[in-house]
Amino acid sequence: MSIASVKNLTVQYGPFTALDDFSCEIPEGCTGLLGPNGAGKTTLLKTLLGFVNPKSGSATVLDRDIRTQGKQIRQLIGLMPEQDCHIPGMTAVGFVAYAGELAGMPAPQALRRAHEVLEYCGLGEARYRNVETYSTGMKQRIKLAQALVHGPKLLLLDEPTNGLDPRGREEMLTLIRSVSHGRGVNVIVSSHVLPDIERVCDRVVVVMKGKLRMAGTIRDLKAIEGQPADVELREASPEFVRYLEQEGLLVTPTRPNTYRISTDRSPEAMTQMVFRAAQATHAQVRGFQIAERTLEEIFMEAIETA
Amino acid sequence: MSTVPNGGPIADLSYRGYDGPLESPRMRWWVIARQGIQLALKRKGLWAVMIGSAWYYLVMLIVLFFVQQVLSANPMGEAPMAAFMKRLVWKDQFLHGFSYAQLPLLAVTIMLGSGAIANDNRSKALMVYLSKPADKTDYLLGKWIGIALPIWLTLLVPTVMFYGYGALTFRQYGFISDDPWLFPKLMAVLPLAALMHSSLMLGVSSLFDQGRVAGATYAGIYFLTNFFTVLMGAAWNSSRGEAPAFVKTLYYGSLDGLLIGSFKAIMGTSGTPPFGIQAPRAIAIEPPPIVLVLGIVLGLCVISLGLAWRKIRAVEVVGG
Repeated sequence: MSIASVKNLTVQYGPFTALDDFSCEIPEGCTGLLGPNGAGKTTLLKTLLGFVNPKSGSATVLDRDIRTQGKQIRQLIGLMPEQDCHIPGMTAVGFVAYAGELAGMPAPQALRRAHEVLEYCGLGEARYRNVETYSTGMKQRIKLAQALVHGPKLLLLDEPTNGLDPRGREEMLTLIRSVSHGRGVNVIVSSHVLPDIERVCDRVVVVMKGKLRMAGTIRDLKAIEGQPADVELREASPEFVRYLEQEGLLVTPTRPNTYRISTDRSPEAMTQMVFRAAQATHAQVRGFQIAERTLEEIFMEAIETA
Repeated sequence: MSTVPNGGPIADLSYRGYDGPLESPRMRWWVIARQGIQLALKRKGLWAVMIGSAWYYLVMLIVLFFVQQVLSANPMGEAPMAAFMKRLVWKDQFLHGFSYAQLPLLAVTIMLGSGAIANDNRSKALMVYLSKPADKTDYLLGKWIGIALPIWLTLLVPTVMFYGYGALTFRQYGFISDDPWLFPKLMAVLPLAALMHSSLMLGVSSLFDQGRVAGATYAGIYFLTNFFTVLMGAAWNSSRGEAPAFVKTLYYGSLDGLLIGSFKAIMGTSGTPPFGIQAPRAIAIEPPPIVLVLGIVLGLCVISLGLAWRKIRAVEVVGG
């Protein structure tokens, strides 16, 4: 089942086209929305929330039409916006409870749940402090808390690690991962920080100049055709290379002591051949793994084809 | 970061979904209004100004109470009491109560509404509201009611108390018979003040991202227009009623002038001196045409709310 389905969506701000005939299906789970600044990621999120009227096309979120059921969609969604936002003059617990009431929770439930969510987001000790006195990291967390308070089915996170120090970033990613895996909450993370996406997401959608460039699971996208292997030796060994080439394998050095080995034979046969070559040439194998592309390579490839 | 059970009395602090009830997405405006009122009423200064705005009614109640106590014991009988009561025009007491409440009402409006949208602009709170099942209408209506309702209650409570005291105590002195429609007229005119102040304040607040600046701007508009009308009033008075007619209409050309003009026009009075004192030289300025003054009030409200409506946007579009 898909949580969001977008068909031929075009969104314009005056003469500027932010989304251009954009179509994609976002399945359940945690999906990363990748793209450089100005690619249309935030516009896509805001369109899914019903903030922007598309010029043409259609989209549904959790089986509800964005054009006619914006309020119903927003009741089932939690948004963590990119920029700092809070309601002035309120304590954290008051703010989060208020967010819950705005989402439709009865006041006593909203207050109880606010305590619970703040505790979960690591703000339990600071819940009675005015939000305006919070540090950047705490403000990021309270944005997540207000998005989670009403138990959304879908969480939209716009640059969730913006402005966080390494420790705060690590904690935020742990939080997101724990919410999105095994807790029944689907997550769409918009970011241009690739390691963050790789940490928490199972799938990515790459957007560029308002168009869909690539979509799929990270595992599939990273896989290289023919399943080559990367073999790391203790030190460079021309004999090892020669041995494998004589056996008909394609060997490409990737680093001074690492080789990417490709063959049209089965992975098991290739593995056996690699270790036979190491034994014969007295090369010491330090690492052996199925080669895959990095998310950065995938992203650059998607952008360069644009 | 509490993502795993910590072994304490509340063992499981990991994320749990919410399966409790969710109310319909309608009526979100009331949540916004209620929150605005609750936050505002925590300020003791606001309570003081709200109570202070009823000072004319409070003084009048004391005056009436003592006059009644003293004159009812007068050996000359009912005559002195009847003479005093004859000088009092009841509906004009409400006019004075309303007029003298205008300045405190300005303070109440600023305290309630100057930051209503401006502070949200500063802290980018709009995204919090609009990402929930609330739309622009809910937001604006909620903010508007959060200002208008306390202003209306500030005027309503002392007015109804004074009316109740008068109706129960001075019925034989024409309190009701002088104008049987007094109460409905009062109920019609009081919301006008709440409507105008809250709408204008919201419009001004939406233009800024600092509540203080919005409040200062609103006070500036109030006092500048008031200064103008004071000049017009002085011109009319010094001419002993011989100045051109438009001068007396311009006397109502301020924020409180519009409200006082509306009050006079709806109640059908030009006003008499306060506390029933005799001032033969006082010149009462006639009310402006009701259609004109109500049209201006409603027009200003529509313009202000329209301005706020245009300023409230979930998506910031930067023009090229």
